[in-house]
Amino acid sequence: MITSNQMFYRTPQFQIFSESEREMIYSAALEVLETAGVQIERKSALTLLENAGARIEGNKAYIPSYIVEEAVRNAPRKILIYDRNGNPAMRLESTHYYFGTGSDTPHFLDSYNNEIRRTVHKDIGNVAKLVDALPNLDFLMSLGLIWDEKVSMTDLYQFQEMLFNTTKPIVFTAHDLKGTKDIIKMASIAAGSEDELKKHPFIINYIEPTSPLVETKEPIDKLLYCAEQGIPSLYTPTISAGSTAPATLAGTIIQALAECLSGVTMAQLNKKGAPVLIGGVISAMDMHSGSFIYGGPDFHLMCAGMNEMSSYLGLPVYGTAGCTDSKAIDEQAAIEGVFSINLQALSGGNLIHDVGYIASGLIGSLDMVTMCDEIIAMTKRIMRGIEVDKEHLAVETIRRVGPKGSFIADKHTMRHFKDQQWYPELMDRKNYDKWAAAGKKSCGQRINEKVKRILKEHKPEPLEKSKQDEIMKLINSEAKTRKVRY
Amino acid sequence: MSLLEDLKDAVIEMEDEKTPELTQKALDEGNTPEAILKKALVPAMDFVGDQFEKGKRYVPEMVLSAQAMKAAMKLLRPLLAESGIEPKGIVVIGTVEGDLHDIGQNLVAMMLEGAGFEVYNSGTETTADEFVKAIKEHNANIVGLSALITTTMTHMPEVIERIEDAGLRDKVKVIIGGAPVDQDYSDEIKADGYASDAGSAVKLANKLIEG
Ligand code: B12
Repeated sequence: MITSNQMFYRTPQFQIFSESEREMIYSAALEVLETAGVQIERKSALTLLENAGARIEGNKAYIPSYIVEEAVRNAPRKILIYDRNGNPAMRLESTHYYFGTGSDTPHFLDSYNNEIRRTVHKDIGNVAKLVDALPNLDFLMSLGLIWDEKVSMTDLYQFQEMLFNTTKPIVFTAHDLKGTKDIIKMASIAAGSEDELKKHPFIINYIEPTSPLVETKEPIDKLLYCAEQGIPSLYTPTISAGSTAPATLAGTIIQALAECLSGVTMAQLNKKGAPVLIGGVISAMDMHSGSFIYGGPDFHLMCAGMNEMSSYLGLPVYGTAGCTDSKAIDEQAAIEGVFSINLQALSGGNLIHDVGYIASGLIGSLDMVTMCDEIIAMTKRIMRGIEVDKEHLAVETIRRVGPKGSFIADKHTMRHFKDQQWYPELMDRKNYDKWAAAGKKSCGQRINEKVKRILKEHKPEPLEKSKQDEIMKLINSEAKTRKVRY
Repeated sequence: MSLLEDLKDAVIEMEDEKTPELTQKALDEGNTPEAILKKALVPAMDFVGDQFEKGKRYVPEMVLSAQAMKAAMKLLRPLLAESGIEPKGIVVIGTVEGDLHDIGQNLVAMMLEGAGFEVYNSGTETTADEFVKAIKEHNANIVGLSALITTTMTHMPEVIERIEDAGLRDKVKVIIGGAPVDQDYSDEIKADGYASDAGSAVKLANKLIEG
């Protein structure tokens, strides 16, 4: 076959913005930073910006575009994340996509009795174990904020449970700068040393600005510290169109982008090359209930739009998917799960979180995580697209088998059926009789059985005993000194 | 009568530039401040609130109607006070120490205003002492505490304790809200009530001041 000037799509194509639209959006975000300004509640960060050339009025910084653009150039366009053992795990760049859970829900849907109750210590270990076992989840966040430990200690216990029960990378939340430092210490012990952790980071710090356009003290402290230490961080808003941002989708993306870029700028000014991700939960207020939306086409579109903007800027992005407003693992949960996961993969989110959130981020569910694992598997197949080359066009095979022939045992079939077709674990394709004989189980029941089976049988690779002891020693000494509140 | 109808419509139609003018005209025509409140503003907000509950009105429309009502109240409030008519209730509301989530509590504050309460919004990260100070300063009879995080809601009992220490517990009703909070927690910390959203917060406040 002699051909010229061919072009192949390796994956299905999806695009929201044209090149000129991206340029307009970026330019608008720069204009927001320069003319609306950002409220910065930490003096040291104001000074950083002032020294770089920003105009400061009170606690507001008006940041000229050249400073922001330089920061964007200095920020790494790819961040390599390792697992607990120091093996490469995620390449956060361009359109590589990875999925993981969300953090900190106050309540949990108990997989054993289907009741909603407060999140407890034991849940976090279970989240880690489950994520460790599920092949399509690449990283984890706690999925819950626990009630049965001293409030001041919850961040450390949550991190410890994650660290002990999976080797997968962890995105963590900490109460404050002290918590961030302690967690980095715990991770250093697991990695072998602080140096080893910096060389092969397997943790990412989750930090949020407050929309609209406010940077409060704790997030700034965490961001600047992680920048110094070379620990990757996210600086991403949870933003609500119509409430903390304009009602228009474009306006909300622009404001979210401006908020992210103010973080990128502070981080780069503090330490050139500091690894930071942009992105976030780019959503809207439901004007009937006031709820913060975690499922719906407008929300999915904005997150996808944000992904496109990040690849335009060459910055790794934190996406959102696998979550729902539904209070149960039902049809709504599945519908919102599918749309969000699909659009995130199509639009090239890198580190895609919140898998397992139900009830608008207020309840965590292991069943939701497990259902999404299968949705991600299906999405991955879609993302592989359709190969178009001589072997896959299969004209010779069609000719060889010919009219009225059978492909079933053909060698071409043997070569390809496993790889071309996708095989479900939870979707049911049996005939009716077989399905009935197996107990007429709904998909939800099969999901729930899988959760329980994994929790019962899966044995994550343990962290060495000596490291576990050292980490527990650190936690116990913190437990003695951290201020108790009720 | 038609002037009061116009004022009622203006509140329903979210016309906050019109309501002060119409209120002034109604006063000039000889309507008492109390009549204006009871015959125009309250029925307007009742109507709007009912529509909201039924899903026929949206949050921004509720907020704008409340602002239209507030603009009218600005004129009426001093006159009502002169004739010895106290506001229905005085509310101090804020998020507790360490909590930056103010979207929900701002909604509650606006809805309470729309329902005729005088509301002082002390914003985010309000310490126990600041709550006590605001209660004294505004002579509040309701205090609303908002917390969205499991780790900040533990400041709620602290606020209640400080209110007790200041000898104010008999004078104010404490209402609480926010995502991790529930009725059990309200009972546990001996608050006077919990509400899961802004509409229910208004009902709760109404119930508490009626005794
Ligand atoms: C938006 C948001 C933010 C924004 C807040 C911006 C702002 N200006 O408010 C930002 C990005 C700043 C933020 C930060 C954080 N957040 Co946040 N956030 C949310 C989110 C997504 C939506 C909240 C919201 O606005 N809801 C919409 C409003 C209208 O609803 P509402 O607040 O519940 O209010 C209604 C009722 O509760 C009630 N009500 C509220 N207050 C009151 C008061 C009274 C008196 C009464 C009667 C009723 C009442 O009426 C309201 C109106 O209907 C929630 C998830 C969720 N679905 O709630 C997480 C959430 C609350 N955040 C959470 C967390 C953990 C954090 C952080 C700690 C994250 C971190 N590790 O850095 C920080 C903490 C910052 C701080 N110090 O406070 C957790 C809390 C978990 C827990 N176990 O408690 C949640 C649940 C998300 C999650 N699952 O992780 N967050």
